[in-house]
Amino acid sequence: MKLKISAAVYQKELLEIFRDRRTMISMVVVPLVAIPLMFNLINRFMSSREKQAEGESITVGVLDESRVPTVLGALKAAGFQPVLKTDLRAAVANKEVAAAVEETGDAAAGKQVSIYIDRTRQASDIAGDKIRTALDKLKIDTVRASLRGSGVSEKILTPFTTQRVNVASEKKMSGLIFGSALGYIVILLMFTGAMYPAIDMTAGEKERRTLEAVLCSPAGRNEVVLGKILATSTAAFITALLTLGSMAYSFRFAPHASQAQEAFHMAPPDLASLAMALFAVIPTAIMAASIMVAIALFAKSYKEGQSYLTPIVMLAAFPAVVGMLPGLELTPALALIPIFNVCQLIKEIFLGEFSRAAFAVALGSNLVYAAIAYYIASRIFKSESVLFRV
Amino acid sequence: MYLVSPVSPVFLVFSVFLVSLVFLVSPVFPVFLPRASLMFRMIRVDKLAKSFKDKKRGIIHALDHISFDVRSGEIFGLLGPNGAGKTTCLRLLSTILKPTGGTAEVGGADIVQSPEAVRRQIGFLSGDMGSHARLTPREVLGFFGKLNGITGSRLSQRIDQMVEMFDFREYANTKIDKLSTGMKQKVAIARTVLHDPPILILDEPSAGLDVPTARLIERFILNAKRSGKCILFSTHVMEEAEYLCDRIGVVHQGRLKALGTMEQLRELTGKQRLREIFLDLLDMPETRIEARI
Repeated sequence: MKLKISAAVYQKELLEIFRDRRTMISMVVVPLVAIPLMFNLINRFMSSREKQAEGESITVGVLDESRVPTVLGALKAAGFQPVLKTDLRAAVANKEVAAAVEETGDAAAGKQVSIYIDRTRQASDIAGDKIRTALDKLKIDTVRASLRGSGVSEKILTPFTTQRVNVASEKKMSGLIFGSALGYIVILLMFTGAMYPAIDMTAGEKERRTLEAVLCSPAGRNEVVLGKILATSTAAFITALLTLGSMAYSFRFAPHASQAQEAFHMAPPDLASLAMALFAVIPTAIMAASIMVAIALFAKSYKEGQSYLTPIVMLAAFPAVVGMLPGLELTPALALIPIFNVCQLIKEIFLGEFSRAAFAVALGSNLVYAAIAYYIASRIFKSESVLFRV
Repeated sequence: MYLVSPVSPVFLVFSVFLVSLVFLVSPVFPVFLPRASLMFRMIRVDKLAKSFKDKKRGIIHALDHISFDVRSGEIFGLLGPNGAGKTTCLRLLSTILKPTGGTAEVGGADIVQSPEAVRRQIGFLSGDMGSHARLTPREVLGFFGKLNGITGSRLSQRIDQMVEMFDFREYANTKIDKLSTGMKQKVAIARTVLHDPPILILDEPSAGLDVPTARLIERFILNAKRSGKCILFSTHVMEEAEYLCDRIGVVHQGRLKALGTMEQLRELTGKQRLREIFLDLLDMPETRIEARI
C-alpha cells in the first residue's frame, strides 16, 4: 500500500470535485442557502400565524349589544370588539368572528352565558380562553362587590390560588419536532453532498473513459479506491460542516435568531458541541461515501449512477426520520442503529443532554459499519465484471 | 593520399571522434543508435485466453489461446474486425483484466504474478479513452506522474520536457475541456510516455480522429520505434497497419488467424493490398508464419 499514490488520487479527485458545478451546488450552495432559508421561512410562518391568530381573536359576535348587558363591559375591557351577528353559531363556524357570546335567562332564574368557539381554529380557541378569563374575572368582581356590603371577608373567595405550570405546551412540542429535524437535515444533506462526487469518480469516470488510464498505471486498485473514498468522505464531511455551521449561524447571528431559538426550542450551540457533532459525523461520512462509491461503481453512466443512488439517499433518510419522533432517547442499544444514532446524537448534542455511553457506542458501531462498507467497496473495485460491465 | 589511408593516425583520431560523436548525440537523436542488433523480446504471449460468462449467450471466448512475441524497436499490429478480441488482448496485457488461460510476460514480468511490475513498464493509450476534462494538461501530467512514482522536482522537470516535446506550452494551463481534439490527443500521448516506458500498448489509438490528428499518432508511433520502444497496437484501419507495422497479427473471433510481415502475408494470400489480404485471411484456416526478424 503506497499512501503517496492514494494521496495523489485524493488530491486529483478533490480538484475535480471543486470544479464540478453539480457537486458544488449540493455540497456548498444547498447548506449555505437552504438552511438559513428554511429557518427564515419557519420563523416567518410561525410568527405570522401567531399574529394572524391574535388579530382575528379580538372579534366577538353578539346578537345585539343590549342583549349582553352583563358581560359587554368586561369583554370591551378585555379588548374585544363586539360585532353584531344574527346567527352566532354560523358566524363562528364561517370564521366571521373568532367567538360569540350569548346571554340567556334572567337575574332571578340565574343567568347563563354561552361562549361559541370553534376549537379546531387556533384563533377561536385563543378567543374562547380569553373570554372565559374575562368572564371569570367579572364573576369574581361581581361577587366581591356583593360581599363588600355584607361584612364577610373577601378572602373567602380565594381559599387558595392555583397556578398552571405547562411543562409541554403545544408550542414546545412543535419546537421539539423541528429540533429533531436538525439531525435529519444534516444526514440528508450529507448523503446528497456525497452522492455527486461518488457518481462522478466512478460511473462518471467510466462514462468519460478516464478510469482505464488510471487502472493501467502502476497504482494498485487498493490505493485508488482509498483515494476515491477519502475524497467522497471529505465531500460528505464538508457538507455536514457547512450545514452545521450554517445552522449555528442561523441560531446565533441571523436576524430573528431569538425567534429561531424559540421555534426550535434550543439554545445557540457553542463551539464545543459543534465540534462534538462534527466528530460524531465522521464515521457516518466514511460509511456513506463507501456505500455510494460501491453502488455507483455498478453504473455505466452518470445518469444510471443517479438513479441507483437516489433510492439510497431515501433509504438513509428513513432511520433519520424515525429519529424525528419526539421523546425518543438514545440508549446504548439504540445507538447501534446506523444513521439513526448519529441523527439522534446531533439532536441531543444540540439540546445539550446526551449520554456519554451512547456517544461512545454510536461512534464505535459507526466505525465498524464504515469499515465493513469500505471493505465491500474495495472488493467491488477489484471486480472486473463490475468495472467493465457491458 | 597519406591522410585518408586507413593506417594514418589522423584518420584514426578522426574516426574515433566520429564514433564518439554518434554516441554523444544519440540521446537527442536516438535514430543513430544501432538498436536493431539489441532487440529483446519485450512482450511474450503464450496461449493467452479470456472467456466471459454471459447470461444470454453462455460462455464467450473473447480470446482463444493466442500466442505471439513483440520485440523492442518493433511495431506489432493486431488487426481484426470489431469484436475480434483485440481490446481484450491489450487489456489482459496491461493487467486491467485477468486471463482465464495461458500466460504472458510483459517486460519480463508475469501479467498475473506481478501486475504492478508490468504496469510500471507500459504506456497505455486507447482511442476511445477520454481526458480529465476539468483538469489542465499540467495537472493531468502531474497526476499520472505521481501514479508512476515520479515526484518533486523530477516530476516538474519531466512535465516541462513533455510540454516542450509535444508543443503545448500555450495551453498547458487551460482546462482540457476547452481544447480541440488534436490538442487533447497530444496531452494523451504525453501522458502515455511521461514515465518513459519501454513498452507501448495502443488500442486503436487513431480511432475517430481526423487525418491531421491521426497523423500525430502515426508520427508518435514511428518516433517511439526509433527510440527503441516495443510497440503493440491494435487497429482496423488497413492503411495504418500497412504503413506502420513491422509485423501483423490478424485476429478473428478470438483466434490468431495469421502472423507475419507484410511480404509474408502477401506471399501467403497472393494478394497485394492489405485490405484484400485481410479479407482473405478471415476465411482461411489458421496459419502461422514465423517472422524473419
